[in-house]
Amino acid sequence: MFYVTYMLAELRRRRGRTILTALGLAVGVGLVVTVNALSTGLNDAQAKVLKPLTGVGTDMSVTRPISFQNPGGGNGGPGFPQLSQQERDQLRSENGGSRFGLGNLGKAGSHFSRDNFVAASQLSFPATQVEKISAIDGVSSAAGGLTLNAIHVEGTVPTQAQQEQQRQQFFQGGGQGGGGGGVFGGAPRNINLTNLTVTGVDQTQPQLGAVTPGQIAKGRYFGKAGASEAILDQSYASRQNLGVGKTIKVGGKKFTVVGIAKTPIGGQASDVYLELSTLQKLSDHMGRVNTVYVRANSASDVSSVSATITKTFDGASVTTAQDLADRVTGTLVDAKNLAGKLGTALIVLGLLAAFLIAILLTLASVTKRVRELGTLKALGWSQGLVVRQVTGESLLQGLLGGILGVALGLAGAALISAFGPELHATVAAAARTGPGRFFGGFGQGSVDNTPTSTRVSLDAPVSLALILGAIGLALLGGLIAGAAGGLRAARLRPADAIRHID
Amino acid sequence: MTRTEIRNAETPAYELRGVSKTYMLGGHDVQAVREVSLTISAGAAVAVVGPSGSGKTTLLQLLGGMDRASAGEVLHEGRDLAQMGDGDLGDLRLKAFGFVFQQFNLIPTLTTAQNVEVSLAPRGGTGSTRRERVLKLLDSVGLADRAEHVPSRLSGGEQQRVAIARALANDPHVLLADEPTGNLDSETGTEIIELLLSLSEEDARTVVVVTHDAEIAARAHRIVRMQDGRILTEDPALERVQTTR
Repeated sequence: MFYVTYMLAELRRRRGRTILTALGLAVGVGLVVTVNALSTGLNDAQAKVLKPLTGVGTDMSVTRPISFQNPGGGNGGPGFPQLSQQERDQLRSENGGSRFGLGNLGKAGSHFSRDNFVAASQLSFPATQVEKISAIDGVSSAAGGLTLNAIHVEGTVPTQAQQEQQRQQFFQGGGQGGGGGGVFGGAPRNINLTNLTVTGVDQTQPQLGAVTPGQIAKGRYFGKAGASEAILDQSYASRQNLGVGKTIKVGGKKFTVVGIAKTPIGGQASDVYLELSTLQKLSDHMGRVNTVYVRANSASDVSSVSATITKTFDGASVTTAQDLADRVTGTLVDAKNLAGKLGTALIVLGLLAAFLIAILLTLASVTKRVRELGTLKALGWSQGLVVRQVTGESLLQGLLGGILGVALGLAGAALISAFGPELHATVAAAARTGPGRFFGGFGQGSVDNTPTSTRVSLDAPVSLALILGAIGLALLGGLIAGAAGGLRAARLRPADAIRHID
Repeated sequence: MTRTEIRNAETPAYELRGVSKTYMLGGHDVQAVREVSLTISAGAAVAVVGPSGSGKTTLLQLLGGMDRASAGEVLHEGRDLAQMGDGDLGDLRLKAFGFVFQQFNLIPTLTTAQNVEVSLAPRGGTGSTRRERVLKLLDSVGLADRAEHVPSRLSGGEQQRVAIARALANDPHVLLADEPTGNLDSETGTEIIELLLSLSEEDARTVVVVTHDAEIAARAHRIVRMQDGRILTEDPALERVQTTR
């Protein structure tokens, strides 16, 4: 107790120097708290942006995109050199249905209606692949998904002359339609062609897939009568003026809309979600999927699982949450980069300056107290005791600086939260490795190929761990300064110190 | 060994053999003490006198283990201080020596009681035990009622009394005083020297006082005169106790 009393008495005597040292440390610590709170806020904001993008609890999605880098080359045959003959046959089978001859539709002038499903840019694969992925070390669960373009063609069968004219129009203006749905860009005027993207969701694993109960904005998730239920994407429902309780036709079958899902920004959103088994039956894709949603046991397993999947699943493309994060742009990213680089530099410089100030002021204080400290040594205080005394005083200054710094940091964080600047984030769609040009004419859906934006307000949360860490840093500063001062005091020779004139 | 045992055994408190101390000052060697040989018997009160720069304070610091001799031996109760490490010397200063300085050297932020406790704290013990000892010491120097005063509220004489109480806190074998009356008026100085000698005489404590004041020196058992770092003369007529040479 005596030593603490002595320390406090000395700090009171040198009030100005004590406050200056504590303030120096406080500024450094305040910077640490504010910048870290800002950084946490930016991370939270990014997580908000990415949450709907990755799906609830989904760490990775596995697809098998078709590469068109060298069409017609290689040994595998023209168009898809990387595919085996069996896979090429499968691809032809999956997309062949879209080729319909006008001459086969019936008599000229009669009405016709056709529904087809095309696989578009992602190659399908057997659903057994989902089980193989489930068995990989580090995988918590995996669920299959199937995303297809549902194309509905309806109209009047043209005459031979019209067919010839329309064929010419098609090749002049067609093949560039892509996206947007509605009337097919280069189609004959008396034939309407509409398309929408539809995804089959594994209803047995509602928490893992393209749409999850957490994303339902209105209505509900699939229920017991899931086979006849559909969930619509919010933007698609809005464009088509559809709501919960309405019906929608997909592949010629009616479905009741039971829910509206929020549009996942930048993700592989579809216009319509059906149960996987229903879509597989409807599209004649029994036992096949083209996406696997994977959840890892922990974040640290993601990279190893991703590597294993890529290695064991030929042609697989694994998209992780980090890949998605890398596609985020906008003021959110600018702020994050600024906080990351400038913030770190500020913290380092601030702390260095604070520590330096504390060290210099402590050394100056020891110089001022040569006679006093020398007297203590003359009276028999050991070097350790003198060092402890000086270091203890410095630690108390550090504690004071830490408390002041936390207060400053909290004020800074509160200011950021109060102003709550709104940041905007744009998430580019995944790089298209699929046949954008090739299948563009049949559309690719209206959502997943468009960069989407969102706005998030910035908060700067301060955790208890951050507060304790900040105080710890201030104490470290005090300890370093105290050690420097204490060592200088320890080197004092009592005889010289006694001779010293203040 | 207790002070009485040492005295009975006629072991000298100090034995200095050819002691020199050289400082570096402005790039030049300055010999503050030159080949001093001196024996101080236990329980003796010795005054060291001489003009400024004669080496008397340096001699006192060598006796108190605050500095080390450049040459020769400084034996305290038979132990060569030069052979002791810094830690042991510090321990010796704490337990065996008491110091009184011309400038009092009190810690201005601490109360009178706490200034005395400065010498007791390193030895441990409970706060209440120390407090009891402090109040007894303050009572012995007539400052029991000033225990909670800070030094700035005390007169020079009172501050030096506090310093004496602090010096006696660990019941040292030797009391070393460097110009203890230098900052006091003559009347107060006389009171202080009387107090210092009386408190030491009761306990058969060895006292070495450095002073300019002939009147104060005359109260010692023995006077050692120094000039240019050497002992000029000793005045055996003032010896009141047996000393060994």
